[in-house]
Amino acid sequence: MELLKTVVEVFLRTYPGFLEATLTTLQITAVALVLGTSLGLIFALMKISRSKILQTIANLYITIIRGTPLIVQIMFLYFGITTLIVLSGFWAGAIALGIHNGAYIAEIFRGAIQGIDKGQREASSSLGMTRTQSMRRIVFPQALKRSIPPLGNQFIITLKDSSLVYIIGVSELFSIANREAAQSFQSLETYLVVGVYYLVLVMIFTYLLKLYENKLNVDK
Amino acid sequence: MKKKFSFLTAVAATAMLIAGCGSDKEETTDSAGSGEESGYNLKEDGKLTYASSGLYKPFNYEEAGELTGFDVEIGAAIAEKMGLEPNPITTPWETITQSLLASNFDVIIGSMAITAERAERVNFSDPYYYSGGMIFVPEGSDEITSAEDLEGKRIGVVAQSTYDTAAKGYTDDVKYYNSDVVALNDLTVEGRLDAVITADVVGFEAIAAGLEIKDVGEPLWIEQAAVALRKEDKELLEGINKAIEEIVADGTYEEISNKWFERNLLDVDLEGIDILN
Repeated sequence: MELLKTVVEVFLRTYPGFLEATLTTLQITAVALVLGTSLGLIFALMKISRSKILQTIANLYITIIRGTPLIVQIMFLYFGITTLIVLSGFWAGAIALGIHNGAYIAEIFRGAIQGIDKGQREASSSLGMTRTQSMRRIVFPQALKRSIPPLGNQFIITLKDSSLVYIIGVSELFSIANREAAQSFQSLETYLVVGVYYLVLVMIFTYLLKLYENKLNVDK
Repeated sequence: MKKKFSFLTAVAATAMLIAGCGSDKEETTDSAGSGEESGYNLKEDGKLTYASSGLYKPFNYEEAGELTGFDVEIGAAIAEKMGLEPNPITTPWETITQSLLASNFDVIIGSMAITAERAERVNFSDPYYYSGGMIFVPEGSDEITSAEDLEGKRIGVVAQSTYDTAAKGYTDDVKYYNSDVVALNDLTVEGRLDAVITADVVGFEAIAAGLEIKDVGEPLWIEQAAVALRKEDKELLEGINKAIEEIVADGTYEEISNKWFERNLLDVDLEGIDILN
């Protein structure tokens, strides 16, 4: 009960800073998702293309990204890229998160595209469509529908992973929580509160995804 | 067809949202040519961008979303003396030197102590305060009464700090934190840490906040906190040293020091105490 009281106190004291940080967290997530989805689509198409070179490039990217921790990638981009261009922490973090996600999203798209029955493609070519046309009009729309649930899952992971960019000094939710805890000496309560913020964000996200899925009628 | 477009539209809309709200996050990447009149090479025109961890109460910490503390106010006083606008920022302590060298900000004003090892990579200004490295133990502990008792004990410190180097001299069992406050907090948890080495003032602040810990003995050494700069910024170093001299001379320093500590941190009897450098 005593804990509940202090948690409420911490919540009331911290919400201005946390709300601002929530916006930063959402911005990083948004950049990462747009970048990740674009990269994912490009690399998925490369992977299923007929060109050996494109396949190799895509495989290399996916292998490297999936085989190294996100926090290492963030550090690498933040300190490695600055020798070429100076990136603010926000952009370095968001881009790293986007590149990281691209690899996972590429696999989601690839799986969805290859999961579409071969008969669909055969049917469209018998209608006289070219490979590209059948991809664009027949296969991809169906594949997109199928990728919505795993994509949504990946989006949620991204939102939570954005907390890792605290390491390069971006004032998102987690780093504000660190500072709050350092200032007030109330670590337990502060991290409990920040956990609730993430939970609420993820729940909103899940709800929106449900709406979108229903609109698309994925399971019909 | 239509449905596919709605997805892409959603993506495009998000992109616009970012473009809209990301713009204020954009930092000037043009580091050359700023502060031309003064000859300083600053990250942002007319601003002194200085960094600290923001996790080091009472020297630098955040209160109600505002960065504050002794370091932050000294930084502001220095900037004003140089005719610049103060722009304090936070960055994790473990990588603060790398970030300085990568030109993510102009200088470190974050209680960084002068050490020979650090001086190989960065330049230090004249010290702007002295503090003592102090041992803190749990309230009820009587195992540790002096530095000798630290032999083989589990000591908590901030990685890349001077206390880190000291702790390694006493024991192999060092636990690393990114904030002194978290380390001090862990003293109050049964069986996590035997001791923490940090600045006397920081520990006293925690005690004042009701943390059940106590200090042991005399300060182990005195260290000098100074502004850290990149080696190539020679003019900036001169400017900062001049500003420090001025704020000490005109009483601004004393005012800030009294406000935070009820004493002047530069008034330390250095007689017979080990000075770290």
